[in-house]
Amino acid sequence: MTTAMHHFINYKFWLAARAVLAHLVANETKVADSRGRSSVATRRETSFGRAFRGLKPHGYPQKVAQRLAADGWVTWRVNRDAGGQGNVLRVTDPRAGSAGRRRDAVTKCVGWLVAGWLLGLGGPGPLWAEPAAHTADGYALPQPGRQFVFPRDHGSHPDFAIEWWYVTGHLFATNQGQYGFQATFFRKALLAPGATNRSASADFGNDQIYLAHMALVDKNSGEFRYQERLNRAGWDAAAATNTLDVRNGNWTYRLLPSAPGAPAREVFALQATIGADVALTLNFTPKKPLVVFGTNGVSRKAADPQAASHYLTYSRLAATGTLTLDTTNVTVTGEAWMDHEFSSSQVGNDQVGWDWLSLQLFDGREIMAYRMRRKDGTTDPYSTVAWVDQHSVVRQVGPDGFKWTVREHWHSPKTGADYPAKMQLAALNPQTGQWETFVVEPLVADQELAGKIGGVGYWEGACRLRDATGREIGRAYMELTGYGQSLEGKF
Amino acid sequence: MAARPPVLRILWTRFAWRHWRMAPVSSGLLLLILALGVAAFFSIRLANQAAVAGFENFTDLITAESDGLITAPVGTLPTSVLLDLRQLLGNTPVNLVPVLETSAVPPRRADTEGIGARPTLQILGLDLPALVNLAGQAYGSGGGLAGTPGGAGRRIGDQSAADVYISAALARRDGLTNGSILSLVINDRPAELRVAGVIPTPPGRPAAPASLLIMDLPDLQALTDKTGQLDRIEFVLEAGPHRAERWARIKAQLEAANSPTAPRWVVSSSAARRDAGLTMTRAFRLNLTILSLLALLVGLYLVFQGLQGAVVRRRSEIAILRSLGVTSGQIQGAWLVEAAVVGLAGGLLGLALGWLGAQLAVQTVGRTMHALYFGRAVEAAAFDFKEALLALTVAVAASTLAGWRPARLAANTPPAQIAARAGSASDPGGRWLNHPGFGLALLVAGGLLTTLPPVRMDGGGRLPVAAYAAALCWIFGAGVFAGQILSGLGRLIQWLKIESVPLRLACSHLRAPGGRHRLAVAGLVCAVGMTAGMAILVSSFDLTMRGWIARTFQADVYATSDGDQTASTINRIVPATWQSIAADPAVKQANVIQGGEIFINGVSTLLVGHDPRFYRDYSHPAWVSAPRDDAVFDAARNAELVLASESFCERFRLHRGDVVRVPIPGGDRPVTIAGVYADYGNERGSLLIERRQFTNWFGSQLAASVILALQPGEDPEALRAKLRLAHPGLGVYTSGFLRGEALRIFRQTFAVTYALELIGIIVAVAGLAFTMSSLLWERRNDLATLRALGLRRRELSAAAALEGGLLAVAGLVAGLLVSLALGWLLIFRINKQTFGWTLQTDLPGAQLLVLALLVLASATLAGWLAGRWATRLPAEREE
Repeated sequence: MTTAMHHFINYKFWLAARAVLAHLVANETKVADSRGRSSVATRRETSFGRAFRGLKPHGYPQKVAQRLAADGWVTWRVNRDAGGQGNVLRVTDPRAGSAGRRRDAVTKCVGWLVAGWLLGLGGPGPLWAEPAAHTADGYALPQPGRQFVFPRDHGSHPDFAIEWWYVTGHLFATNQGQYGFQATFFRKALLAPGATNRSASADFGNDQIYLAHMALVDKNSGEFRYQERLNRAGWDAAAATNTLDVRNGNWTYRLLPSAPGAPAREVFALQATIGADVALTLNFTPKKPLVVFGTNGVSRKAADPQAASHYLTYSRLAATGTLTLDTTNVTVTGEAWMDHEFSSSQVGNDQVGWDWLSLQLFDGREIMAYRMRRKDGTTDPYSTVAWVDQHSVVRQVGPDGFKWTVREHWHSPKTGADYPAKMQLAALNPQTGQWETFVVEPLVADQELAGKIGGVGYWEGACRLRDATGREIGRAYMELTGYGQSLEGKF
Repeated sequence: MAARPPVLRILWTRFAWRHWRMAPVSSGLLLLILALGVAAFFSIRLANQAAVAGFENFTDLITAESDGLITAPVGTLPTSVLLDLRQLLGNTPVNLVPVLETSAVPPRRADTEGIGARPTLQILGLDLPALVNLAGQAYGSGGGLAGTPGGAGRRIGDQSAADVYISAALARRDGLTNGSILSLVINDRPAELRVAGVIPTPPGRPAAPASLLIMDLPDLQALTDKTGQLDRIEFVLEAGPHRAERWARIKAQLEAANSPTAPRWVVSSSAARRDAGLTMTRAFRLNLTILSLLALLVGLYLVFQGLQGAVVRRRSEIAILRSLGVTSGQIQGAWLVEAAVVGLAGGLLGLALGWLGAQLAVQTVGRTMHALYFGRAVEAAAFDFKEALLALTVAVAASTLAGWRPARLAANTPPAQIAARAGSASDPGGRWLNHPGFGLALLVAGGLLTTLPPVRMDGGGRLPVAAYAAALCWIFGAGVFAGQILSGLGRLIQWLKIESVPLRLACSHLRAPGGRHRLAVAGLVCAVGMTAGMAILVSSFDLTMRGWIARTFQADVYATSDGDQTASTINRIVPATWQSIAADPAVKQANVIQGGEIFINGVSTLLVGHDPRFYRDYSHPAWVSAPRDDAVFDAARNAELVLASESFCERFRLHRGDVVRVPIPGGDRPVTIAGVYADYGNERGSLLIERRQFTNWFGSQLAASVILALQPGEDPEALRAKLRLAHPGLGVYTSGFLRGEALRIFRQTFAVTYALELIGIIVAVAGLAFTMSSLLWERRNDLATLRALGLRRRELSAAAALEGGLLAVAGLVAGLLVSLALGWLLIFRINKQTFGWTLQTDLPGAQLLVLALLVLASATLAGWLAGRWATRLPAEREE
């Protein structure tokens, strides 16, 4: 880093940017949080708010559960505190088409049940609380039943405070090279939708700020390179609202328009660089349908009912493109994982960090595992493991359904943080009722993003995936935060 | 094997150093003279550097090193260019740093405050949040964020107040802290900015100067009515190898995308930009440096004399040393070492004096440079080791060079011959000083050199190298001839048969002047010639300026932005303001002046939009080439006609009738030079066009100033007071005040020359005293004899005083004669070639008389004091 710039970032006006960054990274917490729980939406707090305090999953009659599971529904059971009787409340089906229509029909039935229950027909009194439409600041809050329309909903939602697009993956080059990459574009609103003090200059806006992270790890050389970028809304950073078209400096992530007359096919294009010597030009084509995590399209984050998001994921995309490394161009292919999430809320501050995993198994399944770590070292009850089967059906288990073990540690010479280097995840497969064990090993130990802009370092890296016998069964990406310093109070 | 004795060391300690120690006064004087010469050189170099440092690209403080930049071909860049550039460059990893710059001044403290009395501040508008990306250049295994800055900062979403970041120096000086309100005048309006933080000083980088302020770009755009406009866009590439090649590729891409007929931008490298200030002022700085070498040149005359005298004095010792087996090489080496040590000691003393002098010179040099070239506040001159090393090298090298001949003289004389010639006078000047033909050749060579043109430098600067060489030839030539004057004087006095023992005694030494006499006079000729020559130039300049100012400022009232303090401040008057001024019932006619910097063939100059009729009627221009008809003054016929200043024509080698291609947004416009007028306002030159044309071309209504002619009977003072009240951000001046200010600023720019002249004279007179004491010491046995013959001490002192006085007369006669030639050279060659200004000639008789009397009196006094000292010397005393 040039000395002048190194010191310039100490400049006091950076407080402004840092304050923004703090918010942004806070929402990374939320990202991870949502990854852990959003598709369950039946933790201690659900999208129905306080009325459903005490709901527990998987408590409804087994027959109903099995039938719904066989149909690909994500199911819950509501345990009313008073009677302990189970009632099916809500189901959600991420799949489009007829399944979606079936879901609507079931939802209606279940809805009547819920309505009756809420009105006191089957219980001790009305418990319904309509989720708020906006935060006190005027930002939109996720609403259940939102109908996602694409490509519009791939684009930006500036009425929400926070939004990000996140892609990770493993690439294989024609020259035997193997790489892992991460591309994250964040958006953070600085002014609520109704604010009147917007900048007169569209080129130098004051209503949104954009942060982005780009990283590449070379398995063969062990070299890890990354870069962070921050820009205000305007000429050098923006996100379209009608489709996916987000950019930050020379980095862009877009949904390519379909060729006229060609069958509709989603292709996402990433163009990015890291420093002067890495360039990524990648196209991603979904191999599996989009997964919308959460209850009825809303993914709860924490006890606060406003802490929720809309969470959309492509759990497996085919990646093709070109990687330029130190002036050498290589053609690459591989598989990627993409998240898109938008929300307006914060998470609780009793957590010091989180561990997050995306596992892509060779058998066509994916697993997203999330562990929120509390100050006392325990795992937060909102932690979860979500299984995405070959048909993109999501089934999830809570902390009682998985066990997370750190097998090795790695000490960062840059930040002094001690990160888990090798993780073992044992989780209950809700589809089979069997426990499965996964061992996650980083391809390269040092995949730490030191947080030069955000001020908080974290580890996010490509990993290989083995089973309990040591057989390689897939590939993974792992995110580890709060190890260099506690995130408590910061997010 | 026996160790060889360290001969040089022994020679130094037992031979040279002993003599220096035993004659502390003359030794000290010699060192002081040399030190003064070095000090003049060093202080001017430091002052130059400090003044030019103000022009360094301020964004470098922020962006470390930008690789290149684009500017508009003329005027400002629209912000829409940013997105176009990003799209053009695609996935190329490059940070684009948009920059807007303006100047500001604190509000005036008193209504009658002079122009330029308040410091000019530079405000840099940058996209603050995006700057963090430049810090992130060290990707990969680089370090993290170093610490968290404290204090309160405004979030970019908060539009409650315009924040400004100030330098630590300003915070300290004005006691400003976070949240303090900083009152400034920007354009024609007072503005209040909230201090949001202090610009940090990176290690290894210069601290932000007190004059630098930083604001978020959109805030500054709004404050300066420049929303959507940028001054430049800097390109900062990602760190890594092949940076120059990467920039070359981007540059080529940018240039390829530019339309050749209507260019959208001008691409340049940052190095070129950084050097712009250096380039622009190179000629000016070189001129000053050359002037500063004058004192050193005179000093070297004296070092030569001093060492030559020492050779003579120590002749017997050298003979003994030679007899003892010390080789001539070792003797020569010892003398050269001695000369070098003198240079080193004088140089070190000179550095100390020079540093002190620089603190005094920097303000003046800075003001001059900024009045002529660019508006930047000048900080104190910092001690610069590179410059110090240069000055020291110059001192040692010059002193060693001056010692070369004395050293050879000492070494080449065989012991027997030395012994045989012991007691005889030496002739340190050598044959060349006694040869009038040599002097004549120098004078002729000088004459020929004056016919050569200047060397043209990048950025439009011109350096009259040949003219300087001519000056040097004439000074040396006159120095040689001065020896002849000396003997003529001696003979003249003898012929007059004045019965005065001291006079006859004095003349006896002058009739056949020795090399020492000739050298002393040559030194004096050098100092007097240069000083008087400069006095002639300055006086001529003064006369010309007075005439020009009286003619130019004939309108009644002048209004500019109150922030307009130097030639190049970019504060403007907004249309609403100048329209209301022009509409005042007291105003008969208003000339609204618009203008801006343009680049013709990459060379900076000024394009001014004005009312040519008003200019003709109220400014009475002095024509170098008057327009052939009235077309240029007729709005219906002057669309393609311009008036060019003399500096402009000199700079671009153009004449009346020539066509200039003026860069305007969307391409070039050819215009014809209808007339050339004399202008002493700036060195870059100006083109004057009809204001309507300027507005059409540039689409700007911002005015640089408004000149008002009042209705008959209206009081300019009353209007001035009224306008000041109505527009507190305006500087409103009456013509009388402005004339006084213009002359004051002009004279202030010559303060440095006066100081350098004074140093030259001091050195020359001190050298004369040194010569006299040295001559009299050599004659101490004669003096003892004369005293034994009955001459009184007073008579001997008077003889010495007369000798000194006559030396001064010879020096003055030759010096004043050469000063006339130098004055001509300075006015018609050096000044014309450097600045392109034609001056009227003025001979400052009174100044020259004072100078002559001063030199004569000082020399006589020095002779008398030396005489008194010498008559007290015992005949056999060694020193």
